[in-house]
Order: sequence, then C-alpha cells, then structure tokens
Amino acid sequence: MKIKQSLLGVSLGIAGLLLAACGGSSNPLSDASSPQPSQSGSASGAQGAPVVVGSADFTESKILAEIYSQALKAKGVDSSTKLGIGSREIYIKALQDGSISAVPEYTGNLLLNFDANATATTADEVEKSLPAVLPQGIKVLKASPAVDQDVYVVTKDFSAKNGITSLEDLKKIASTSTLGGPPELEKRAYGPPGLEKIYGAKFKAFVPYAKYPPKISDLDSNKIQVATFFTTDAVISEKGYVQLEDPQSMILPQNVIPLVRSDVADNADAVAALDAVQAALTTDDLVQLDKKVDSERQDPAQVAGEWLKSKGLA
Amino acid sequence: MNLDWAWIQRNLAMIGNLLVDHIILSVLPVLIALVISLPLGFLVFKTKRVANVILAFLGVIYSIPSLALFVMMPLILGTKILNPVNIVVALAIYSIALLVRSVVDGLRSVPASVKQSATAVGYGWLRRLFRVELPLAMPVIYAGLRVVTVSSIALVSVAVLIGSGALGKLFDLGFGSFFYTPIIVGLVLMLALALVADALILLIQRGTLPWFRKRRTA
Amino acid sequence: MNIFSYLTDPANWEGPAGIWNLLLQQLAYTAASVAIAAVIAIPLGIFIGHTGRGSFLVIGVSNAARAIPTLGLLVLVVLLLGTGVGPIIGVLAVLALPPILTATAAGIHGADPEAVHAGRALGLSERQVVSKVEWPLALPLVISGLRSSTLQVVATATVAAYSSGEGLGRLLITGNATRDYPQMFAGAFMVAVLAVVLDILLGGVGWLASRHASPGRRTSRSRGASPRGETIDQPA
Repeated sequence: MKIKQSLLGVSLGIAGLLLAACGGSSNPLSDASSPQPSQSGSASGAQGAPVVVGSADFTESKILAEIYSQALKAKGVDSSTKLGIGSREIYIKALQDGSISAVPEYTGNLLLNFDANATATTADEVEKSLPAVLPQGIKVLKASPAVDQDVYVVTKDFSAKNGITSLEDLKKIASTSTLGGPPELEKRAYGPPGLEKIYGAKFKAFVPYAKYPPKISDLDSNKIQVATFFTTDAVISEKGYVQLEDPQSMILPQNVIPLVRSDVADNADAVAALDAVQAALTTDDLVQLDKKVDSERQDPAQVAGEWLKSKGLA
Repeated sequence: MNLDWAWIQRNLAMIGNLLVDHIILSVLPVLIALVISLPLGFLVFKTKRVANVILAFLGVIYSIPSLALFVMMPLILGTKILNPVNIVVALAIYSIALLVRSVVDGLRSVPASVKQSATAVGYGWLRRLFRVELPLAMPVIYAGLRVVTVSSIALVSVAVLIGSGALGKLFDLGFGSFFYTPIIVGLVLMLALALVADALILLIQRGTLPWFRKRRTA
Repeated sequence: MNIFSYLTDPANWEGPAGIWNLLLQQLAYTAASVAIAAVIAIPLGIFIGHTGRGSFLVIGVSNAARAIPTLGLLVLVVLLLGTGVGPIIGVLAVLALPPILTATAAGIHGADPEAVHAGRALGLSERQVVSKVEWPLALPLVISGLRSSTLQVVATATVAAYSSGEGLGRLLITGNATRDYPQMFAGAFMVAVLAVVLDILLGGVGWLASRHASPGRRTSRSRGASPRGETIDQPA
C-alpha cells in the first residue's frame, strides 16, 4: 500500500516537473540583474545619469572598476559600481541591457569574444580591430599600456623534470595530464580548443576551478599538471611557477581598456576622466594593487582611491 | 595573512546587509509555509487514504536537494536565476513538505477518547478543532517549526553556487582569497541566527502551551 | 529554449566530465561517507540507546547538526586540509553521522520493553539482548536514519564540486559560469533523480525491514513516531 502510494506521489512529482519544463521558454540566465529590464539604459551617463561601472569576479577587475568610478566622480560625473557580476558572458549582457554602462576589459580576449577568427596579433592590431566587431551601442575607449595576460603555468619541478617552458612543449605531456582553469575557459578560443588546434596538445581532462586556492593546492600536489592564471597574480612569483611561452600568439595581448555604452562615449567629461586613468596605468601598478587586495586584505575601493590620489587624478 | 580580525571592522556595513538579507530569505519561507501548512495539513489529515499519497508526494519533494530545487525554480516560476524569489519559494516548499507532515502527525496524536469527551460535552467539530485538537497537536507542530526554521537558515547559504546566498557570500569571499575571517564570521553569524530563532520559537511555545512541560526529550 | 538539450546530447554523457562519470563520482563519495559514518554511529548509538548514558549528547548533536551550513564547513576544511578525497569524505562523513546516531539510539532505546524483559527473563546475556532482541526491533529506525543520512550526503556532495570539481555539482557551477542553463538544469535534474531514487530504494528496504522485524505489530508506529519522525534532517 505504501509503495503504491509512494509511486503515485513520485509520478505526480515528475509529471509536474516535466509539465513545467515544457512551459519554460525564456532563459533564466539571460539577464544578469533580474529586477532591471531597462532597454534604454537608465545607467547611461548621459545628461547626468550615473555611470554604473560593473566588474567581473576577480580582484583586478574590481579594483579597475573602482578606479574608473572614482575617477569619474572626481571629474564631476556621477558614478557608482556593481562589482563581481560574473564572467564576460554575463556582464556583456548586463552592459547591453543597460544595468551597467561601463566595465574594465582586456583587448585580446574582448576581440576573441566577438570574433573568434580574428587574425590580429600585436597590441595595436588588436586595439584597431575592436570597434568593427563590437555590437551596436557598445564602444571602447583608449587602451592602456598596462597589460594582464592569461598565462599557462607549471610548477618549477614539473618544468625541470619534463622540459616544459613553452606551450609548444605541451603536446609532449598533454595526453597524460590534466589542465585546470576557470569554468568558462573550457570552451574559449585560447583554452583547450586553442591548445589543440594551434599547439596540437589535447589534455586528458579539464578541471574547472571557480576559485584559486583549490587550483593552487592541486597544482602544487600534482593533481593537475598545468593551470592558468593571470600575469599580474601575486601567486606566480610567490610560488615560482614557470610561465609558458606563447610563440604562436594564441593568447592575444591583453591591454586594459574601458568598454562602455555609446552614451558614455559621447560624454566628454567621462571620456576625459577615463583616458587620463588609462594613460597613467602601468602593469606594475596592477601587480601592486592586486597584491594589496589579495595578500594584504585591503579594500578595492580604498586602494583605488589611494592610487588615484598618488597620480593626481582624484 | 589568512586571518585578519580588523577586516570585520572595515566591512561592517556589508556584513550587516548580508545578515539582513539572510534573515529575510530564511524567515519569509517559514512564515509562508506555516500559513499554508496548517489548513493544508488539516485537509490532508481529514482525507484518510489520499493523505498517504499526498504525504508520499511531499516526501519526494523533501528528498530533492535544495540546490537542485533552487536551479529548477526559474523553470517553474519563469524567474531569472538571481531572483531571490527562487530561494523563498523553494524553501517554502520544503518547509511545507515537512510542516504538513507535522500537522498531520500532531492531529493524529490526539487520543480518540479526548475527542469523544469534547463531543460529548457539546463541542461542534470546528470548536473541537480549535479548542482541543489543535492545541494538543501544537507540540509536534512546534517541533516541526523549529526544524524547518533552523534548516532554512542553513540552506540559504547553499545558493552561493548560483550567485546569491546572503551570508553564504562570505564563504565565497573567504574561499576565493584563502582568507579565514569571512568564513568564520559567516559560520558564527549563521549559527547564532539559528540559535536565536530556535530559542525564540521555544519561548513562544512555552508561552502559548503552558501545560506542556518537557516530558518529551526531542 | 530546450531545457533538456544538455541531457539529450549523448556526447555529454561520455568522458571524464560526462554525466555518467560525475554521477558515479557522486555515488562513490556518498557511499563511502555514509559507510564510514555508519561504522562509527551505529555502535555508538547502540551503546547510548541501550545504556541510556549520553542521550543528551545525541539530542544536542542532532539539533546542532541541522544548523551547520555545509558550504561553510566544506570551504573551511578544504582551505585547512586541501582538496583531496580524504578531507571531503571526512566532511561528508561528519555530516552523515548525526541522523544515523539519533536513529540508532532511538531505535535501541525504544525497542519494545516487553520483548526486552522477556529476553532477560529467558536468561539472555546483555550482549544477546542487544543483538537478538533490541537490534532487530531497532532495524527499521536505523535504516530510516541511514536513509536521512544518505539524502543529506547526496545533497552536500553536490556542493562539494565547488571545491573539487567532482560530482554532478560541476554541471551546476560550469553551467552558471558559462550561462548554459540547459547544463545547470541537467545537473539539478540528475541530482534530484539520484536523491529521489536513493530515497525510494532505502524506503523500500526500510519497509521490508519493518515487515520482517515485527510482522503483525508495527513497532515504529506504536511508538508514536513515524519512521522519519525522529530523524528529520533536511538534506542540503
């Protein structure tokens, strides 16, 4: 009796779910900020509307967003931040629907995001190719000399033992090795697909890491053999990881560049503020700022403010 | 450094906001569930055989892990994934699944002799329900209430994996930077919240059911 | 948008990150943790239930356990001890313990006193009273405890992917990061199916055990507690 009733209950449950599934047509992931379906962009920065600067989940993005936002305020443009939105796929949508109106980006990956077959290889070429591939209503401002690349690393020991110093060497060990990186890397042009196509390296497995500590721990204990980081991450020098060379430029130059909605690009004050930031920013600045937040636990907004003051921009 | 108590001071506002979010996200579902479970439980109690089917159905729902339910909510409600409504509705469904059973068990535990005496004295079924059956069923219902409240408080944090999670975001922050302080703050606050909520319900129980002393140990 | 697109693509089921493999990983973690927890909790529960000593411990532990945010514990342990299989199974086993402990203690303690007295009157030693009288009567409740525990662990193992990338939780995390809702749904759906199937299977085992333990006399009901009543723990 109990079994019959249980089964009846279960079937009702499953039927319910399936019915609901047939009804679901809109993508629950299609809007980064749920309560704000504004089309015209209430955060456009035109006519005194505040410029909302968004950021990705990682420290450097948050610091840059704070720098942009505070620089804008210093020049009299109202601004606020929305930090930690998520990966590029998510915050681009937020930019397009107007929930944010600016976001710090990186030239190379931005280009690949919109044009996976881009042939540009130098920093200049990449920057010049961008305007053509961006969707309607979105523009880039001036790129900065500051650079932060994705980079593949191995431990010092692994490098020595297997003679791995470049991405070219990976095909020697890939089939018996595991690669670790952020979840979104798996399908990206400079991720496993690129390694296979350009360097002939097909890894045994890919492990997604949403956070650094387990990735670092697994790399150190050889649970994974190769991992990706960013060139400005403090952990690379702290642990002495070997950064693998990229002779075929699979990873494009990644200069910091503001990605903004058209109305922000039309706002002369905003552009002036951001251009000044871009000119003053150096790669070493990025390294120092990242360290202050990641290793010393300081607040992104605070270190951003201090940097701006030190450069006379706030 | 991996432990920095001064961090708490620098981030009091953020921690406070997360705490308030967390309280709302865990208390609201329980209140909704209570309002729905009392009449629903009574109805289930009345229908003898269908009752078992319904309870089995609710049992199935209850066995689904909360994270899975959070993710499937947008499907059923048509909401976006970051919408807090997903969490409130999912936790309310869980709480209902448990509370309905508590109400049914509570009502079933009222001895037939007591009900007969009430009828004999002249109580109509409605009066008997409110004056005799429900009060006697309350201890079991209160026990269920304490369980769902404490569970909800802990479960809200699981939603971190899909981008929300209130105080759970402190775990995310700490884990991402190898930083113990936010994690400890999150754990302490959540446990404190659970303790306070549990004690509050117990106090209310003692206040409303003065005749029921600690005879049962659970 | 077809919610089932990730599930219905056969390519997603094969390989080290395929649904099958992730499912097996999750099952393996669950089985190992529950087994370890049972090995500790059942003997302890028998002792507490039979002698009555330490029963306050059981109540306290089970109430407290419900309040632990599993993600917080997991994250703390992984930062302290690393992402190996060991620490994760350790956390899962700790979370699996309370339901089994509570159920075993309650089952042994609540075993029909008349049967226990009869056993003693017949000259059975204490050990035999436990093994031949109390244990068979307690079995349905113990199984219900194992059932609660298994559900709790399956749910927590989903969350474990946050730190190790193993198990069905990986689909939830990757799907969320790449805005691939069908993938998220695939993960959620499979986790739900896994939990429900395990719950029904163990429910069936428990039902068989209660039939066997006391045919004609439903002990667990007569105690006034429904089979799940004593061990209500919300799976994470």
